[in-house]
Amino acid sequence: MFDKYFTLISDFMQGKKKYVLTGVILLTAAAGAGLFFVHYDGNIDLMLPPDKDIGRSMSFLRDSNLSDKVIVSLSLTTDNRSKKDLFNAADQLAASLSPPLFTKVTTGFSVMNMMDGFFLNYAPQILTEKDLSVIDGRINAVSVSDKLKRIYIQSLKPESVFMVPMFRSDPLGINSLILDKLKALPASMGFDVSVEDGHFISSDGRHAMLIIQTPVKMTDGPNSKKLLTALEDNISQLPKYISADVISGHRHTVSNEKVIRRDISLLSIMVSVVFLLLFFAVFRDMRVVLVYIIPLLAVILAVNISHFFAGKLSYLVIGFGTAIAGISVDYGLMVYISARKGADSSRALKLAKLLCIDAITSAFGFYVLYFSKIHGYHQLALFSILCIVISLLFALFILPLTLSWKKCPEIKQPRISDRLEKSPKLRNVSIGLWAVLTVAAAVLSLNTRIESDIKQLDGSEPEVINAEKNFHEAWGGKGGQAIFVVTGSTFEEAMKTNDAIFQRVAKSIGTERFSSLAMFWSSEETRIKNVEDWNNFWKQGREARLKGLIKKEAPKYDFSENAFSPFFDNLYKAADKNGVNNEFIDNVKERFVQERPEGYKMLSFFPDEKEFVKTMSELSRDYPGSFVVSGRAMSESISRFTAKEAKLLIPLAVIFNFVLTYLFFKNIKETVIALIPVLTGMVWLSGLMSLFGFPLNVVNIVAAIITSGVIVDYGIGRTYDYRNNLTMGTAFVVSMSAATNIIGAGALLFAKHPAFSSTGMAMVICMSAGYLSAMFVVPSFCIMLSTREQKESA
Amino acid sequence: MKIITVFLFSLLVLFSVLLSSVQVVSETIGVTGEKDKTYSKSAEVQELLRIIGKKVSNFKSLKTDFVQEKNLAMFKKKIVLRGRIYMQKPNMLAWHVDKPVKYSVVITDKSIKQWDEDTNKVQELSLAKNPIFKNVITQLSVWFSGEYGALMDDNNVSILQQHPLVIEFVPNDKNIAKKMIKSITITFREDEKYLKKIKIHEMSGDTTTIEFSNTLLDVSLENSFFEVKSVR
Repeated sequence: MFDKYFTLISDFMQGKKKYVLTGVILLTAAAGAGLFFVHYDGNIDLMLPPDKDIGRSMSFLRDSNLSDKVIVSLSLTTDNRSKKDLFNAADQLAASLSPPLFTKVTTGFSVMNMMDGFFLNYAPQILTEKDLSVIDGRINAVSVSDKLKRIYIQSLKPESVFMVPMFRSDPLGINSLILDKLKALPASMGFDVSVEDGHFISSDGRHAMLIIQTPVKMTDGPNSKKLLTALEDNISQLPKYISADVISGHRHTVSNEKVIRRDISLLSIMVSVVFLLLFFAVFRDMRVVLVYIIPLLAVILAVNISHFFAGKLSYLVIGFGTAIAGISVDYGLMVYISARKGADSSRALKLAKLLCIDAITSAFGFYVLYFSKIHGYHQLALFSILCIVISLLFALFILPLTLSWKKCPEIKQPRISDRLEKSPKLRNVSIGLWAVLTVAAAVLSLNTRIESDIKQLDGSEPEVINAEKNFHEAWGGKGGQAIFVVTGSTFEEAMKTNDAIFQRVAKSIGTERFSSLAMFWSSEETRIKNVEDWNNFWKQGREARLKGLIKKEAPKYDFSENAFSPFFDNLYKAADKNGVNNEFIDNVKERFVQERPEGYKMLSFFPDEKEFVKTMSELSRDYPGSFVVSGRAMSESISRFTAKEAKLLIPLAVIFNFVLTYLFFKNIKETVIALIPVLTGMVWLSGLMSLFGFPLNVVNIVAAIITSGVIVDYGIGRTYDYRNNLTMGTAFVVSMSAATNIIGAGALLFAKHPAFSSTGMAMVICMSAGYLSAMFVVPSFCIMLSTREQKESA
Repeated sequence: MKIITVFLFSLLVLFSVLLSSVQVVSETIGVTGEKDKTYSKSAEVQELLRIIGKKVSNFKSLKTDFVQEKNLAMFKKKIVLRGRIYMQKPNMLAWHVDKPVKYSVVITDKSIKQWDEDTNKVQELSLAKNPIFKNVITQLSVWFSGEYGALMDDNNVSILQQHPLVIEFVPNDKNIAKKMIKSITITFREDEKYLKKIKIHEMSGDTTTIEFSNTLLDVSLENSFFEVKSVR
């Protein structure tokens, strides 16, 4: 049936040659124009597993107000400029940033405004039973005497004008208990910042900082670019003695996209130039350009068709197109070489069958990706299969229309086949060496490392990374933090759960490194109870006792009778049920609380360390609606998911290759021989990666799976050649095919984006190993097999 | 997780503000009981400050005794402190209290140190982390150095009396001391060569008066005067 339809279509094409070629040109022009209407996506979400935890974390990060902040760290670059100049620059920049891109700019805080009436007004709500027992420990003759003495001495100092009101309202120094709770928050985060003249300043006094709020989400590529451009324009207006480092997720988004686009352009040009040089050097025929154009046309058409079916296309998927170009050129190459050798229709038919099986095995290599749960892989599979099918059709039916010679010029071919046929010793050495190297690679592969940290695939430019490094050097805070998220349909519900979790953490692992709103501001229920406890505490005789002690000690320092009446007159409080009207509390809430139409989320922060994350993840199971957002946990989830998928996809790829190859050869021995390049490629890949210390990761594992569908063609082609005695120079064809494939994949080694370079390394190793085994080992086994069969039949 | 870092940083600065105020923050009580007067930075006032500032700052070193009276509602009687002030321009100032307690604060170009007899410990202070203390030190330095022009940015200035010259400084909205200090009145000597008295009216009703005596200008000052434990 294949013979019938192939011949039918070929003859039709030959008969309508002019129309067919015109149609192809018009179709390609339309597809080229269509490229300008295709939408691309730089969002990495497409390539992430649809894992519940990962999806929830990504959704949280996208939805939260964490991603809408930009920090600018300004630095003095010369010694002869002062802090005043630094603060002026900060004010200048802040004044220049306006909506819609910049909604709020904070350069510092006014200390006095924030502290107005805060401590003792809110102490009864904040202080717990534990704090009350500390206060109880201060209500004795010795402590009170000591306190009064200190107050007296402090009152004599120049700064007493600011201190005296506080002493009168707080003779026992209760505010220190509140300040201890507040101290714990920045200490747990590891940052080092002060406020001077209302501006944030680093400990060395050389850096000022602005916190900028923007409505632009970091995942919004186009608007992130606008935001950063506008910010850079304003920064460029600052004096020359000021330098600026910009820290934000937006920089990563824009930088990654820029790197990927640059890589795609560069790699496409590189591959094109190398291909053309190779073809001209080997073939010395202008018509070889037609062979080269086929994958290009296929990519253009495949982009349009993929966009029609799949919508926005990922830049990462398009980037892989450079490697696909190398695979797809094989079909045209084989047809060209066959035509140049003057193959008749019978050989042309056999070649067509071979190319079809090659295309099917390659396509199935990509088809396996449909079994993955990652949406981006489905897009990659669709795009790649389309490239392969279109290239095959062009090679089989369009390219022959353009090739004809009066006399077919000779092509010099490698003589390795002749040497292997004549020398059993060479065959044995080939097989022996291959066996030893493969076993060695297999042993090495037992130590292959799998990299689960997706941050290693961040393609941000060095400037972005350096800015963050400078920032941490100036301001501290190098350790990563994870987030514990508590949800509630109402604010009070979320606060109660948050309190409960804080208590659990305090009992189990301590709160030194756990930053939570509950540290100093609890749910209304808890605060009401705290106030009741506070009032009861003083009513149980402590007020009278303290008054007595002060009355006894006061004459030593001549305190007046009403010296501490501001404290006693305001001692008993009622909890504020109507909500707190305090700028500081509101500012803090903004950082720990997120209000959404569906409810509230309370955020607590802790170090992103394995054990800590594990403990908090276990804790979250007791509180429905709570979850952990952790970079480390996400990396591990991705790694687990990838390993799980690899366990499915790799055997599937192997099975598909085996079944298709067996269906083609219908002979188990030939099938096994044909699959030697696949085995060699996979084993040598993991062995060499282990030897050189490179890890396997999400992208290069997928690349290896795809490559298996390509290198199986080398084995099939060589085995088929020996079985049918095609004498079409399969060795030469396989060599050219491997060269183009390796060039296409090798170009990725020069990419700046780590995902591309990692893919390129995996594909180059697989293809090189597969090629070498196809050239030396497969023929050796084929010759041994045919020799044995000849002996047996004899 | 860079965005978490960015977020944490913005959260963190809120609390660092409080930390920077740990030692010196005070609860503000009381509200301004009178309408704010509207003062204009008239050319006359500016010129006067410039002239008097020039006169008063026309020295390289200073040595003076002082008596400080504090009328604080917290105490039954007024507290009287006696001490000495030494100043060596451009940037050395020493404030020593001898009675009733011994206390010193010394500002040099390198540091600010504080000592008191009770703890007998020398504390080195960071103005960056003590914005209120910084305000006090700045005020002291300006009063004694005569650079009154600097005070016009944060205060509304008026002339209460011409002879002897008495000038009133009322903190404006930019001044962090506004909530504590109602006004500061500076009285100059008859010869207008130096300060005679500084009176601080606090919002709470408390007052502090510092009167200077035995003031000597351009005298040789020993290094020991600028040590925090320089006691009599």
